Amino acid sequence: MQRKVSLFIPCFVDQLLPQVAVDTVKVLRRLGYGVDYPEDQTCCGQPAFNTGYWDEARPCAEHFVRVFKHADAVVCPSGSCATMVRTFYADLLASSSLREDALALASRTFELSEFLVKVAAVTQVGATFPHTVTYHASCHGLRELKLRDEPLQLLRQVNGLTLIEMVRSEECCGFGGTFAAKFPDISGAMGNSKAENVAATGAEFVTAIDPSCLLHLEGILGKRQAPTRTIHLASILAHESRTNEAQKDESLPQERP
Amino acid sequence: MQTKEAQTEKAHVENASRDGILQQIRAGLRTAVPEPAAIGSERVIFEPISNPLERFQQECVSNLMECALTADCAASARQLSEVLQPLPEGEIFVQDDPSLRRLVEMTIELAAPTRAIRWSSEGAPAEAAQATVTLAEALIAQTGSILVTSACGGRGASVIAPCHIVYASVAQLVPDLATALGRVSQERIFDSNSFACVISGSSRTADIEKILVQGAHGPRRLVVILQTGS
Amino acid sequence: MSTAAQRFLQDAAVKSADLMHREVIRRGMDSYDAAHLKGRARIKDWEAARQKCQEIKREAINHLDRYLLQFEEKVIARGGHVYWAANSEEACSYVKNLAARFGVRTVVKSKSMVTEEIHLSPALEQAGIKVWETDLGEFIVQLRNEPPYHIVTPAMHLNRGQIAQLFREKLDPAIASDDPRDLMAVARRKLREAFFAAEMGISGANFLVADAGVIAISTNEGNGRLCTSLPRIHVVVTGIEKVIPRLEDLAVLWPVLATSGTGQGITTYGTLIGGPRRAGEVDGAEEFHVVLVDNGRSQLLADAEQREVLHCIRCGACLNICPVFRHVGGHTYGTTYPGPIGSVLTPHLNSIKEFKHLSYASSLCGACTSVCPVKINLHHHLLQNRRNATEAGATKSSERMMFRAWRSAMLHPRIYALGGWSMRKALRILYGLGLAGSILDPMRVWNRYRSPVPLPSESFRAIWRKDRKQDRRKNLGAN
Repeated sequence: MQRKVSLFIPCFVDQLLPQVAVDTVKVLRRLGYGVDYPEDQTCCGQPAFNTGYWDEARPCAEHFVRVFKHADAVVCPSGSCATMVRTFYADLLASSSLREDALALASRTFELSEFLVKVAAVTQVGATFPHTVTYHASCHGLRELKLRDEPLQLLRQVNGLTLIEMVRSEECCGFGGTFAAKFPDISGAMGNSKAENVAATGAEFVTAIDPSCLLHLEGILGKRQAPTRTIHLASILAHESRTNEAQKDESLPQERP
Repeated sequence: MQTKEAQTEKAHVENASRDGILQQIRAGLRTAVPEPAAIGSERVIFEPISNPLERFQQECVSNLMECALTADCAASARQLSEVLQPLPEGEIFVQDDPSLRRLVEMTIELAAPTRAIRWSSEGAPAEAAQATVTLAEALIAQTGSILVTSACGGRGASVIAPCHIVYASVAQLVPDLATALGRVSQERIFDSNSFACVISGSSRTADIEKILVQGAHGPRRLVVILQTGS
Repeated sequence: MSTAAQRFLQDAAVKSADLMHREVIRRGMDSYDAAHLKGRARIKDWEAARQKCQEIKREAINHLDRYLLQFEEKVIARGGHVYWAANSEEACSYVKNLAARFGVRTVVKSKSMVTEEIHLSPALEQAGIKVWETDLGEFIVQLRNEPPYHIVTPAMHLNRGQIAQLFREKLDPAIASDDPRDLMAVARRKLREAFFAAEMGISGANFLVADAGVIAISTNEGNGRLCTSLPRIHVVVTGIEKVIPRLEDLAVLWPVLATSGTGQGITTYGTLIGGPRRAGEVDGAEEFHVVLVDNGRSQLLADAEQREVLHCIRCGACLNICPVFRHVGGHTYGTTYPGPIGSVLTPHLNSIKEFKHLSYASSLCGACTSVCPVKINLHHHLLQNRRNATEAGATKSSERMMFRAWRSAMLHPRIYALGGWSMRKALRILYGLGLAGSILDPMRVWNRYRSPVPLPSESFRAIWRKDRKQDRRKNLGAN
């Protein structure tokens, strides 16, 4: 009987970074998991919740709980979105009729690297990525889900990958969702500080478990015309060896013009 | 002269907001707040200290304090003389205690007195004092500290002059802060002293560019003459 | 938007772009980080230490009335005075009246954030009293007529050249050196005159020890010692939440405060004072007055979620680690208490309407919570403040409308999908016409600092559906 997981794809990944979701599916299937994607999912409610609009976030959270009610395990390629369900649904849905379902769902919801290392109990996922990579420790995954080692364990097992440590890797990239919209100058400054630390490593790629960090960093690096490209952990883990190394690797993020 | 009770009563009457604040505190505390689990078994927070003397000496080094081990009074007197001799012109202030009277006498015997001595029984240290000499209530190995009280020559004695010299014995060494503070409580130090201080080094500041400067408003030098014998 | 919020946005914009300022802060914080790590290594079980400190403060706050009364009784029994001030005005009045009663002309002050909070110095100066800040960092910012930049290191935004120049202008034009040791010597000479002349010394208190009935002050420079030893009158200005149950609690609180504040194992001076000088003592103040300031703290007790904010021991660790603080600095906040603790606390001490913006000026990274030595869940409190602000109707109605519309879309998967597709399409057209960053661009704030977001032609949902329809698994990996 094949093990089955349900995909929780954050709304902005669905809309702006679909490749991250595609790669997540690829990795899970390679490990023998059946993957289901409940098409009625929309948003976990984090944007409204973080901005203080809990009344507006609550129905979205309830919708989410209903959509995933029958999932065995929910896997999400985003630390912040997994955190929303795991850490904050209890508070948000404290007086909801779906409170018990939410708590049960939370215990079955995992961020991707967490799922691979702690549930699937693997660190070797058969990936090849012959490039230099530096790791940004996204805040929610690090401090809410306590995932310090798991992403690194996975990266260390990737064939050909050279991991270069970044200074202040645990310092926030400055996105913060609402924060970037309300305080763009501070957000930009923090992003640029992070970009400097990335540049100092000389790595070809910077990776993280949070696509929101990567979206923000990609924008910052792009504006700076920096050579380092962002790539989600899922995409690294999905990457396989090329039969012809000389051929341009279409599956990689494109170099900046 | 009003009784203590009457004084207290008067103070409370003159403080119009006191009752209001207490009421507000009590009202606020009626709100139930979930209490998370306690620490459980007594986890050891600080590494236990096996060799207090060694630890004290190590801490003195990190604290930029000087600790001179002496075998007996004569050696302590020599040590004191060595510390005082090169100091600039100016009086020294000494806590008036029989052991210090003896020590100073022996020091004078070694070298003729070139500077005035003001004893704590004569008053507070002068602004221009070059050094103060006091006893301590205890020494704390964990943090390389000395514990002084009002009885150790007063409050200013450990802070006014550029050099503070403490005359202590190894018998006064306690392993850690917990023991020292426990002793202060048990011996009801504050029944007879309005002041106590745990001093762990010379005064310092890092307010300019986070660069450590030794000697700010208090002493630049803190010297402990630590006598092992009698 | 409140004026405080507008000012914050402006100042933040300026400071965020100030690379020199960022460099100064970075160097200061690097120094702290290194010292802090060393300090942590001296404590065998740091997590146990944090836990213990949290328990001590929780016990104190949860029985605040009992411990304050115990403290008060002991101080009064020794001939000291305890005054309970409901707010800034009462606290300032009390100190002013005391100064008038005793003919005080000069005051020496050691560092106390509460005195900043109640604006004590201006009140005394208005009454014609000369107030000397004696903590070196506070002395420096006082000369510059600006507020402290940081609760532990008030002048960390200045370099030695600036300080030397300042001293030349305000103290002595003949100052030649900018070596920190020489500058300290200048300050020492100047302030020594004040220490010996002042009739009143004002200090804060890091802790009020209930069972011993003493105040505890943790300092390094010795200025706090002199302020509390030499002048005839000693006034302690402190928040009511500073109380701790037992003297022995200091055995863990002192090292933890020092480690979190500066990286030291313990501060140079741990001063304990229980009253005025006793008969037979060589020196010490003849008058000892403790002013217990409420100023909104007692109200915070009733807040089940945020009562623990009163556990704060003002170590400054959250400021040091906060990436927002590191980029905008302490002055930008425009509040007595900057950084994460300031953002959490200020709406309670002042008004939520005026200061809620500070709770939004955070990416909620949680670094503050991870370093707080008394385990205050700071970043979650910021979230709660945001929720409290919207519930109090203190947010823009247009924003509420926007989230209501967003909610409607999110409850209907097909509307969400259509909305997403339309947005991408519209932006692709807009950017194709070269209008990125223009007034028509809804992402123009994003595009100010970043290159435009990717705009794929298909959402993942579309890819998935197509894949299922065609039963072709090539894109999504073999099954």
